[in-house]
Amino acid sequence: MKNRLKVLRAERDWSQQELAAQLGVSRQTINAIETEKYDPSLPLALKIGKLFGQCVEKIFTLDGVSSSEGDEPIALPAHEEPR
Amino acid sequence: MLSVLLHRMRKAAKDAEKVAHTVEEHRQVYGTRLLIRGLLWVSIFMLSRGLLEMDFGPAWLRVVVALFPVPFFIWYLWTWFNGAAAMDELQRRIELEALGFAFPATAVYLMTIGLLDLAITLPPEDFSLHHIWMFLPIAYYAGLWRAKRRYE
Repeated sequence: MKNRLKVLRAERDWSQQELAAQLGVSRQTINAIETEKYDPSLPLALKIGKLFGQCVEKIFTLDGVSSSEGDEPIALPAHEEPR
Repeated sequence: MLSVLLHRMRKAAKDAEKVAHTVEEHRQVYGTRLLIRGLLWVSIFMLSRGLLEMDFGPAWLRVVVALFPVPFFIWYLWTWFNGAAAMDELQRRIELEALGFAFPATAVYLMTIGLLDLAITLPPEDFSLHHIWMFLPIAYYAGLWRAKRRYE
């Protein structure tokens, strides 16, 4: 999963430590997310979205899916439609 | 308007720094406690083992000496559980991956020792229960090192 966390943090001139503190996680967690070694949990992703005032899909995107594609709901294949 | 915004951002950064200290301090305190209690437990274990190898006293006293390290180990585990409860999600994942490595590694180790013992009868002074349990913490710390490296 790709993300724009580093860019958003740089825009606000925050250090990893400052961002980590606002989210209640360690600096290592922020570093691991920024370097895309770790995908945050949904609650943490939502917290990040709230902190930066953006929806989660604008910050986190699946590999190979652009953020504009992410605006559209993903259509499930027929066999995966909810019953 | 801009100055108000800047003031708010500075305040947010200051508040963030305060919490950061809490998060980082917690990790340091937890790590130090774990190390001190771990060393205390290992020291008591070595003392008990040394005494038992001297073949002293009646059987009931030897049982007491053999059980003496147990509360210290429980204290160590209690510290570990408390620390894990206050960890953030990545730290918990690292701990889980360390245990996920240690458990199968220990299973393979014990299975191999068991089969080798059947094959060639391993010397008990090197491969008895007195010694082989030490592989468990070694496997855990090896798993911890491996998992930490993955997310660095």
